[in-house]
Amino acid sequence: MKNLLILTMIGLAVLAGCSETGTRDSSGMPNPDGGSGQGGSMARFTVAGNYLYVVNTHSLNVYDVTQNADPKSLGKVTLGFGVETIFPYKNHLFIGTQTGMHIMNLANPAQPQQTSFYRHIYSCDPVVAQGDYAYVTLRSGTACNTGPNRLEVVDIKNLANPVRVSTIPMTNPHGLGIDGNLLFVSEGDHGLKVFDATDPLNLRLLKNFTDLRSYDVIPGNHLLIVTGRDGIFQYRYDDSQELTLLSKLPIDNQ
Amino acid sequence: MKHRFTFHLPFRRLVVPFLLLLGPACRQNAEEEPDRQVQALRPVYATYEEVATIKTLGPQPLKSPGKIYVKDRYLFINEQGKGVHVIDNADPARPRKLSFISVPGNVDMAVKGTILYVDNTVDLVALDISDPAQVKVVKRIKNAYPNPSYPQERGVQFECADPARGIVVRWETAMVSNPKCYR
Repeated sequence: MKNLLILTMIGLAVLAGCSETGTRDSSGMPNPDGGSGQGGSMARFTVAGNYLYVVNTHSLNVYDVTQNADPKSLGKVTLGFGVETIFPYKNHLFIGTQTGMHIMNLANPAQPQQTSFYRHIYSCDPVVAQGDYAYVTLRSGTACNTGPNRLEVVDIKNLANPVRVSTIPMTNPHGLGIDGNLLFVSEGDHGLKVFDATDPLNLRLLKNFTDLRSYDVIPGNHLLIVTGRDGIFQYRYDDSQELTLLSKLPIDNQ
Repeated sequence: MKHRFTFHLPFRRLVVPFLLLLGPACRQNAEEEPDRQVQALRPVYATYEEVATIKTLGPQPLKSPGKIYVKDRYLFINEQGKGVHVIDNADPARPRKLSFISVPGNVDMAVKGTILYVDNTVDLVALDISDPAQVKVVKRIKNAYPNPSYPQERGVQFECADPARGIVVRWETAMVSNPKCYR
């Protein structure tokens, strides 16, 4: 049985790699020329204001996209080891790496500077943020990385000093997203969990869709888009915190 | 750079305990047999000219969805290593495939205005998507990224990439004899 579990986890790691998706804040950043869209917590590309940021394994590449059709490379910032994901929030970039989360400020958007580094165990770690809190999932994606699977809630009131305030055990967390008081966490082949995040210090599990295999989510405007092994699923959610399936784009097997 | 991520066989001591966890099939083969055939990832190569050819096709089957991106009425779905499905999602109850942008090696994307930025193996490309049925390349920044030398997945064995054979556009699962790379 344990072997089966490990195999399943390896399968997930193989399928999903180590990078994931969630939501992003679009409020703090002016986006002229039609603005940018929304990716997930898995993204390695993000547009903030007039800049496109792309993370590689070791670095953050910066492009000036004032002219949308004419991106100009402005060089890169070296970040160290295992850079996975990028999430723009409050004029900062939250960059998930295998050893922790860099918080980079965009006071000079052409040259992001590190404000702080939130260290955690070696793991895959997409991150999303809302209000005064960031949410980070840690996944032991491979058999040689046997750390815990969990969701960490981090107080970011002081961006220079992020502090973990809560830890919730998970099964196999991947991408995540938050909208209002709902936090969605992909659990790989174990489904999708929905938490009531009204009190970020006391997340309350509302729903556990064990049959909805998911790796990544984008919530926003009462619409949840889920990507996973079985295709793309879209759900409507509302204040009653119910999820209603709207559509499914299935995998084509032929 | 890649050596921080890809471990060649001197690191086999680390690999073997991992293989033990893979189950009986690997357990028997991993240690002794000099010419072992194992299921592993293998690079699929293309020439730079092939890689840099971006085409708009009609709607294509969804096979291996990767990242997703939302902009206004559009939903973009990465088909891992192959390109981007453009979906009209004005009515989320009835998403409609509009087109498929063939972008070899593509993993990620972002949109500003009517421009879609994509990675195209080693290059960053800006695409005008005003008409999703006729996407135009408006800018290409060459050699923005290192030639991908390892798969996205972790905890996997793979045949080491050989830059002399071309650019790696994706990784396929295959029976590989003595894969020497691991990540």
